[in-house]
Amino acid sequence: MIEIEKLNGDLGEFHLRDINLTVNKGEYLAILGPTGAGKTVLIEYIVGIFKPDSGMIRIDGEDILQLYTEERNIGYVPQDYALFPNLTVEKNISYGLEARRMEPEQINNLVSEMISRLKIDYIRHRMPLNLSGGEKQRVALGRALATEPRVLLLDEPLSALDENLRNEMARELRRVQRDVNGTFIHVCHNFEEASDVADRIAIMNDGMIVQVGTLKEIMETPKNEFVARFVKTQNVFGGVSDGSSIQIGDTSIAKKHSFKGEVIVAIRPENIMIVEKEEEGPDIFSGVVENIALKPYFTEISINAGIPIVVISKNDHPYSIGDTMKIRVSEEKVVVLEKA
Amino acid sequence: MSGKKSSRKTFNAVFYSFAGFLFLYSAYLFLSNIDQLFVTKAAIETREITAVWGEDREVLNQFAGGFWKDPYFWKSLNLTVITTLITTLIAATLGIPTAYALSRYRIPGMSFIETLFSSLIVMPGSVIGICLIVMFNYGPLWKLQNALGFKFAHSIFPGMVIASLVLSFALGLSAWKAAFDSVNPRFEQVARSLGSSRWRAFWTVTFPLAKSGIVAGIILAWTRAMAEFSAVLFFCGTFHELPPSRFSNFTKFMQMDQADWVSVAVWAQVEFGNIEYGFALAFVLVLIGGLSVYVMHRIGAKGFVW
Repeated sequence: MIEIEKLNGDLGEFHLRDINLTVNKGEYLAILGPTGAGKTVLIEYIVGIFKPDSGMIRIDGEDILQLYTEERNIGYVPQDYALFPNLTVEKNISYGLEARRMEPEQINNLVSEMISRLKIDYIRHRMPLNLSGGEKQRVALGRALATEPRVLLLDEPLSALDENLRNEMARELRRVQRDVNGTFIHVCHNFEEASDVADRIAIMNDGMIVQVGTLKEIMETPKNEFVARFVKTQNVFGGVSDGSSIQIGDTSIAKKHSFKGEVIVAIRPENIMIVEKEEEGPDIFSGVVENIALKPYFTEISINAGIPIVVISKNDHPYSIGDTMKIRVSEEKVVVLEKA
Repeated sequence: MSGKKSSRKTFNAVFYSFAGFLFLYSAYLFLSNIDQLFVTKAAIETREITAVWGEDREVLNQFAGGFWKDPYFWKSLNLTVITTLITTLIAATLGIPTAYALSRYRIPGMSFIETLFSSLIVMPGSVIGICLIVMFNYGPLWKLQNALGFKFAHSIFPGMVIASLVLSFALGLSAWKAAFDSVNPRFEQVARSLGSSRWRAFWTVTFPLAKSGIVAGIILAWTRAMAEFSAVLFFCGTFHELPPSRFSNFTKFMQMDQADWVSVAVWAQVEFGNIEYGFALAFVLVLIGGLSVYVMHRIGAKGFVW
């Protein structure tokens, strides 16, 4: 288990402020945030590349900030993998075991086991320069896992891969994590990537952790406007609330809540239902279809209902641009956030 | 895109034409005068120049023809090669760790240190020479030398080593720093995360990757030391005409007595009127320099690319 308490650090361009985070043993946590949020810096503090100004990082109860990098027993896969170009795949994987001065026979067994686990037997004797992106990632993973680290830190491990391979490698990462029952921390800036792999997600912005929770929790109850937008809640509006309804432009949405005055309203597209044209009611809105975008598994329809709203539909919908569409925005699916 | 490509092509064309012209012209200069290397003693004596320098028999007895049979040539080469090897050894011992530190650590005033050493590279040797004279022949260092009973200036050891060290170290440092800069520090960080000590991470990852650049830097430092002229001349002068009693037994044993630093010898011979001999020595320096650079390029070409 990793416990990070009140971690503060300043590296000029990047800074961290009051980071509090707990990662349980065997958990896969994704740290998600935009570029410059300080995600990599947090990873580098855990690895020991830099020292934080204040705070505490404990692994299984041990304060690791007092230890050198080599004493921390942490697996680290940087964004560019940093495979040693002067060593073969096999030697890369055995590097950490040799540093621990294990018996050659034991090293051979462990390396062979890791190589077969990651299915990279065919590149065993190759140099890293001649590997594809996916192969490099597997080797980097094998090298980091061979020493059985207490935690594995992955810094944007999928960003160098093309999209098809990215999905495949995300599943592979998850499989390996379950296989070794490891504690993984995976840094990324892509919401889909985080949702593909993680048990829990920590959202970072401007050097702070904004929200931690399961994917469902974060999607359903984003803590603020930044999180709502980051997890692709496409319908985010500013409005004025009187405690029972919210006025957004000329449109009024019924919603009981505790904030009054200026608020932010967030409604996920998948929570908006397209209803028959005959339906009427306080939660039914009518709008004109302005754009239709076909996505891999669904269609994204933008309508103008006084406010611009994005809804999603199955690909076999009957609408075309200019049509009138009716939608239901259920009160319980509307999230109201305090305006920052 | 195409505009960039065509301007690049134009640049390449101009660059290679210029480099080619320089190379061909240098080759022409040497090859058209190659007969100067084989001028005989008799031929020299019939020249007008002998009348002017005729009285200086000792000097005139050293002819370009058959210079390789001349002990002065071998002693000078010996002196230069041995002292420059020592210079290079010191430059590498000090320079490689310094370059590593400059490349890897955030050192306060680093840009100042870098500017200082980089500006040394473009400094004339005479400036270095005069600075060394002022530094060692005045003030506390002068007093220290008097107390110890030996002089730095006008000596083979350590005078010539010091004079050739300054620029050799500056050039070597920039090459070694470039070699370390070209190795991603991430490799070392990962190596350490895998349980390697800083020392092991350096020797197993950084050093093998920077090796070709480091060796190229050593050759560059040595070549620069060999090429040093004015700093050595200013700080140490010439030794050719000094009586044997002026040299230590060690210097005599090493066959380095009554000899000159090769590039200083080129100048000295020209000053004495022995243009042919000077030209011959210059030719030897060109061969050594060319060969060194060739070896350096061969080694540099074997670096890893990532």
